[in-house]
Amino acid sequence: MAERDVLETDVLVVGGGPAGLAAAIRFKDLLDEHNKTAQKKVEASVMVVEKAGEFGGHSLSGAVLDPISLRELFPDFKEKGAPVATEVTEDHVYMLTSSGKIPLPIVPPPLQNHGNYVISLNQLVKWLAAQAEARGIDCLAGFPGAEILYEGDRVVGVRTGDKGIDKHGKKKSNFEAGVDLRARVTILAEGARGSLAKQLISRLELDQGKFPQVYSIGVKELWEVPKGRLPKGAVIHTMGYPLDSHTFGGGFIYGFTEERISIGLVVGLDYRDPFLDPHGLFQKLKEHPLVRALLEGGKMVRYGARTISEGGWYSIPRPYADGVLLVGEDAGFLNAMRLKGIHLALKTGMLAAETALEAVVADDTSAAKLKAFEDRVNASYVKRELWKVRNFHQGFKHGLWAGLVHSGLQMFSGGRGLVDPMAPSRGYAEVHKLAEYYGPGASRDRFQRLRADGQLTFDRLTDVYHSGTKHDEDQPTHLHVADPTVCETRCKEEFGNPCEKFCPAAVYEMVPKGDDPKDVRLQINFSNCVHCKTCDVMDPYQIITWVTPEGGGGPRYDDL
Amino acid sequence: MKIIVCVKQVPDTEARIRIAPEGNAIVESDVNWIVSPYDEFAVEEALRIREAKGGEVVLVGLGPERGQAALRSGLAMGADSAVHLKDPLFDAADTAGIARALATAIRALAPFDLVFTGQQGVGGDNSQIPGLLAEMLDLPQVTMAVKVELEEGKALVNREVEGAHEVWETSLPAVVSAQKGLNEPRYASLKGIMAAKKKPIDVKDAAALGLQAADLAPRTKVVALELPPPRPPIRMIEGDADTQVKELLRLLHEEAKVI
Repeated sequence: MAERDVLETDVLVVGGGPAGLAAAIRFKDLLDEHNKTAQKKVEASVMVVEKAGEFGGHSLSGAVLDPISLRELFPDFKEKGAPVATEVTEDHVYMLTSSGKIPLPIVPPPLQNHGNYVISLNQLVKWLAAQAEARGIDCLAGFPGAEILYEGDRVVGVRTGDKGIDKHGKKKSNFEAGVDLRARVTILAEGARGSLAKQLISRLELDQGKFPQVYSIGVKELWEVPKGRLPKGAVIHTMGYPLDSHTFGGGFIYGFTEERISIGLVVGLDYRDPFLDPHGLFQKLKEHPLVRALLEGGKMVRYGARTISEGGWYSIPRPYADGVLLVGEDAGFLNAMRLKGIHLALKTGMLAAETALEAVVADDTSAAKLKAFEDRVNASYVKRELWKVRNFHQGFKHGLWAGLVHSGLQMFSGGRGLVDPMAPSRGYAEVHKLAEYYGPGASRDRFQRLRADGQLTFDRLTDVYHSGTKHDEDQPTHLHVADPTVCETRCKEEFGNPCEKFCPAAVYEMVPKGDDPKDVRLQINFSNCVHCKTCDVMDPYQIITWVTPEGGGGPRYDDL
Repeated sequence: MKIIVCVKQVPDTEARIRIAPEGNAIVESDVNWIVSPYDEFAVEEALRIREAKGGEVVLVGLGPERGQAALRSGLAMGADSAVHLKDPLFDAADTAGIARALATAIRALAPFDLVFTGQQGVGGDNSQIPGLLAEMLDLPQVTMAVKVELEEGKALVNREVEGAHEVWETSLPAVVSAQKGLNEPRYASLKGIMAAKKKPIDVKDAAALGLQAADLAPRTKVVALELPPPRPPIRMIEGDADTQVKELLRLLHEEAKVI
């Protein structure tokens, strides 16, 4: 048996997105700065591991970037060639009906994007990784953080995933054991619903006294269209259709270049309809006359989906413990009202780096020392911004109209609104049972999937193909269902198997066991998985656990 | 043993290829580049031989700057060092010119015991390099290897032919091209990737190899590229089982003309 390698580093960053890379870059820059002036030079290493085969491969966002924190990290980001080139030129917000649109007379301040940029997060992350590499930081793509290494309750690093295990769990001839990466400070930067952060938060009860995290799912396509359809830099947000007024969410349409449009739909993962199908709803959005006119005759080039941490300030767990910090969306730093998280990911990464360096220099990486991260967050614009919108998502608990009233009142009261703090519910608990929603006797057969035309609308498999997703088929499934008999019995009857509907990548499929089409079992097509984590968030019995598959597997979000 | 392995960088087999406006090249900016999968078998086999017999594995790759990533991948798997042949003259060369450059570089690495290549590069799919190298280096060659066993001064190589394996014995040094099935290439380990950053890559241009423009002038050229015709859409046959079978038979007979 191959021996497990052990590597030591001072700071280990798990997840090479904007938060993780900003943390690594900032750490190295501050360390160099420190050593220029300090009498006692400090030697410290920082390493980034990323599950995607290439940095940016799993990075997906709308995306409109507020450059505030990128400018702090790289005052000369433009000269350095950061792929941040499309300044927002116009903002529109529409309330959509099934065939019409009502423009909002004024664009609400949180949705005003003057000075912001339409970007591809994939491109930005690739660029950040190159900046990190150029600083000599070890950036290792294709290595997922599979489990946290503890000593007592202290985090002492992360074990990367094994490679070369076949679908029966046996080692293949090319088996390569995961490596124990031991670090004085581990920074978890996995993005929304990180699989390690989930374990850590629960084990150390970091969410004690906090509200539960609330998520949305974003489904997105990148389109190539004839010139002149949408001005470069145009930003459109939509509310209403195709979502009913009980479902939180909305559409976004961004003019990324003259010929490229980013379009997507965000749906709150606290919906009621057990048949709700975010991918299908997104297809319906594209059929709306407003959108059809922009896309028709164009070509879809890329697809992706990802959950978003929407809960806001009150849902952020304690972001530190012995030996560990939580940054970016892994902790829930995202402004749901402004639909922005990248700038907060970068900023919290930077603040974590400052804290980590201080701790490494002082040779004290205990929770008491790392609490400085929380203090830094509280003293920064991260809190100022999130505090103002602390009740935003919760305001929509009773639907769109109540939500708009709440957010209006919140806007004029510094975020307080009518109730403060307003508690969200756990999203999966909001889903109604079939009988409640569709009436007694309703069964799963009632669900009808939208028919795609293959031009403007696509079925999930076509979209998954365009996500560039690839996993070695000969490996154990990375979607663990604690008890699949629940799917065949209780869930089938009570909810009609919502996993088949909420998964935007056709991973979950109930297939007949034999001749009787009603006698079904769960089939998990794990190789389709785009790593969005919706299943982990949304399954009503909370029996699905998303773990990291073999490193390098997953989508390839080029230009998304 | 000293084993040379030729490594080529090719478009990802999943890449969606677009043809450039000139019509005889692909749009490279769209493409994600990988190590040619057959070359990975070659690298793996060389590493296994080195692990069993000792010695060193030297990679030789030809291509533009980006090609260095393929060499780093091979170094991360465990190869000892690499030679990167990089010159605008090489980019314009045809397979004969490329083989000449590779052969010249390999000759400079003598003495060696084996030269491994992939049986073809996934990309151009010309499958010419192994044969040309053997000719230019004046060495025996065995192509499409699925098993390699070394004995004193010779190698036993199983090569794949239609429905069977041939077993060849060859003296060493020899050129052997790797076919799928030879082995299961290892993953580059985390330590391997970190170590690869520090391993030497010797960059050589045409002048360093003593080659002139005339030695590399292409004698063949790609005139045009065409994408395969798009697949016709899937047709679902409706109706009960009887009707479906009849209609399927009719379509296979009349339209597809396969029965």
